[in-house]
Amino acid sequence: MYIVQQLINGICQGSIYALMAIGYAMIYGIVGLVTFTYGEIIMMGSFSAFYYFIVFGDNLVISLIFGFFAAGLVGVFVHKICYQRFLNAPRHISLICTIGMSMFLKNLAIIVFGSTMKGLPIFFEGKTLVLFERTTEGFRQQLSLTYLQLMVIITVVVLSLALSLFLNQTRVGMRLRAVSQDRKAAALVGVNVKNTTLLGNSIGCGLGGVAGILLGLYYNSVIPTMGGMAGMKAFSSVVIGGLSNITGAALGGVSIGIIENLGIAFIPNGSGYRDVFAFLFLIIALLIKPEGLFVRKGRI
Amino acid sequence: MSVILETRNVSKHFGGVKAVNHVDMRIDEGDIFGIIGPNGAGKTTFFNVCSGTIPATEGEVFLGGECVSGMTSPQIARRGMARTFQNIKLFNYMTVLENVKIGFHMHTKTNIFDAVFNTKRFKRDEEFSREEGKKIIERVGLTKFMDVQAGNLAYGVQRRVEIARALALNPRILLLDEPAAGMNPKETRELLEFVKMLNADGYTVAVIEHDMKFVMSLCHKILVLNFGTKICEGDAEHVKNDPLVHEAYFGKGTTL
Amino acid sequence: MRERIKLFFAEHKKMIYIGLGILFAVAPLIVGRTVNKSNYVIDIMVRILFYVIFATSLNTINGYSGQFNIGHAGFMLIGSYTGAILATKLGMGGAWYWAVIPIAGIFTAIVGLLVSLPTLKLKGIYLAIVTLGFSEIVRIVALNWTAVTNGALGVKNIPKLWLFGLKKTSSPMVMYYIAFFFVILCLYCTYKVINSRIGRAWMSIREDATASMSLGVEARKYKAINFMYGAFWAGIGGALMAVYYRFISSDMFVTDEGFNVLAMVIVGGQGTLIGPILGAIIVNAITEVFRFASEYRLVVYGLLIIVMMWIRPQGLAGASNSILAGKGIRKKKKASKTGRGEVLS
Repeated sequence: MYIVQQLINGICQGSIYALMAIGYAMIYGIVGLVTFTYGEIIMMGSFSAFYYFIVFGDNLVISLIFGFFAAGLVGVFVHKICYQRFLNAPRHISLICTIGMSMFLKNLAIIVFGSTMKGLPIFFEGKTLVLFERTTEGFRQQLSLTYLQLMVIITVVVLSLALSLFLNQTRVGMRLRAVSQDRKAAALVGVNVKNTTLLGNSIGCGLGGVAGILLGLYYNSVIPTMGGMAGMKAFSSVVIGGLSNITGAALGGVSIGIIENLGIAFIPNGSGYRDVFAFLFLIIALLIKPEGLFVRKGRI
Repeated sequence: MSVILETRNVSKHFGGVKAVNHVDMRIDEGDIFGIIGPNGAGKTTFFNVCSGTIPATEGEVFLGGECVSGMTSPQIARRGMARTFQNIKLFNYMTVLENVKIGFHMHTKTNIFDAVFNTKRFKRDEEFSREEGKKIIERVGLTKFMDVQAGNLAYGVQRRVEIARALALNPRILLLDEPAAGMNPKETRELLEFVKMLNADGYTVAVIEHDMKFVMSLCHKILVLNFGTKICEGDAEHVKNDPLVHEAYFGKGTTL
Repeated sequence: MRERIKLFFAEHKKMIYIGLGILFAVAPLIVGRTVNKSNYVIDIMVRILFYVIFATSLNTINGYSGQFNIGHAGFMLIGSYTGAILATKLGMGGAWYWAVIPIAGIFTAIVGLLVSLPTLKLKGIYLAIVTLGFSEIVRIVALNWTAVTNGALGVKNIPKLWLFGLKKTSSPMVMYYIAFFFVILCLYCTYKVINSRIGRAWMSIREDATASMSLGVEARKYKAINFMYGAFWAGIGGALMAVYYRFISSDMFVTDEGFNVLAMVIVGGQGTLIGPILGAIIVNAITEVFRFASEYRLVVYGLLIIVMMWIRPQGLAGASNSILAGKGIRKKKKASKTGRGEVLS
């Protein structure tokens, strides 16, 4: 019973990772460069929601939209500084640049926002949906899903579907896919590669921002240093999913979430080792299949 | 004469594409062996399979009578095969001499401790690779470029550096992948003489080329590939008169 | 003028190295005579020396063989903890610590081998994420494995180093010369190795692995040796750090610490011997300049890295024609303006 509950928690947490991973895969697919700034973008997203709640009050849906655009805006900034100039330079240059940017943003955030942990408002009054209940030998056992968890899962699913529709059904989405597959060819048929790349990056960052808000709500707190681990989880999910494959990235995210929570359940004193499970999983996955577990052809 | 390089029934498939399909080849010691064929005939893939850069799907490669299928390219290099690449793969940011020195890698044995403690072996190896490297560079006529970064050299010169680097291995067979590609007629002529000179020095050479004239005047024996399949093998006269070769190059119904 | 300076440096390389060496050797003596709070300044200089070792060891991995290790903090941690635990729990402090230092190095090298073995197949970014993961795993284990590592409290009261009965071995002045000895050793070894067939093999792998393998260089083996070599010196540096500060804890080795060392290597110039030294000096100098507002320190680091990538990606000491310089950025920039970039995948 406990295990199944952990599985549910894992799926829920994994869906947040999945959203982060989708954003990351989007960025990697369109820009073609690996980024270490993504964690900070997630953090920026969650802080934008934090300030939104303070200034405008507790409106969840609008705060998510606000976070999307705020993170997207940071994404534009990162794009101008770290990618645009280095699109055709050796890859490590932009990579190192994003490491610098990550340090810059994180520490700036510590100065501006303060280094302490900040609470987010509690939504749905902490209500719980009881899925299953039984009483054995006087112990009441139940499987439950909090409204918050439900909201997280629904948001992630809705956003993923929206993204999929956007990429496959709209002209802009088509352009994005074209650029991700072959920049040169896309340019030859008249796609404005520069702007499309910028747009793709911003959308990816925006999704990261929303994921950041969800993460903040899930743990009920935000802190400027939250980005590092979040970014690495996103990156790990994408690597497991096979870089730039959006579906794979999402699956990778969910599987990392599940592994983490099951690891905590199975191993005594496991909560301290939470992040170890994710990384061990990543390393093992890479050993088994260096090109990613959920690989499929095509980049987006 | 003994056979140096032999392939038996070698195939390489990429997914459904049969880049190389059941090719048999025997290269005798002391020969200049040519492999020709139209673009996309699988020549370079065939070379890559022979040198262990990519594994064969099927079939065996024998080097000096020893089966080298499944070996990595360093292992095959150690058994006496050196090669150049179609798109020149020099260490662009190292000097010509350093490039050649790496060719001596497998003939030297220095380990970290030798280097740190400056042992006899280290000194001997360093002197060996420096002096021999200079000799080889002199032989290919590049002494004046010795300390120039390889990436800054002209195309034709880079080809020579690549060959010099391969010679440093002191190979039993030298594979040249389109050595004349991108060269002007004068450079091509010089290259022709150069390869002949190498052969006269006792090197067995296998060369991929699609310049017919170049191959015809250089090679003792020629193998023609088309769509990954061997369509003809023999000396220049034989290949010239083979109807299948004509068909492959010019299409059906034409004659020279 | 610029050419002449370059030529001067090229011609008098040995002289410059010796001159630098002498400068480093007498620097604490001068500081000790002239500066008021000399211990404070010399302490900073000791730290710079430690970072020279760390940066040099990372440089052999990232700069010379072109592998991308961004989790160097993990190796530093292992070296430090090996030293600290042997000294406190097994009583190998004092004179014994002279044996502990190489043991820490060798143990870290073995760990380096274990990390590199499964990752040899992986290239570039995959290797990077694995090293990062490794560094985090090691830190979390050190934080949680209380029985051995004392958990969050860290290892305290590491015994002083014995040096011919000298009493103040953990004073900055004495430690400076001990660290200086190891820096010279490290630089000498690295110089020799780089200029041997091993170093050439590393560089050939960095430039073109396929070609290098076709010449008989066993790329995997040399990559593994490279990782071991780098890890070895990181372990030595870590063990020295432990005995100097006499206290270590896992939060001294967070990933940012690894990025910190990476920043030094990059700012100084990857793939050059002098680069990591320059980088260590500059980055530590920035730390000190911003001591009054230490939270701005990392902001400035970040900016420094970005600016460096914009104007001189090969680092201060790197040659403009090196593989790291990203030749043709300007040319390519034009290409991307017309929208004709290439996919970098």
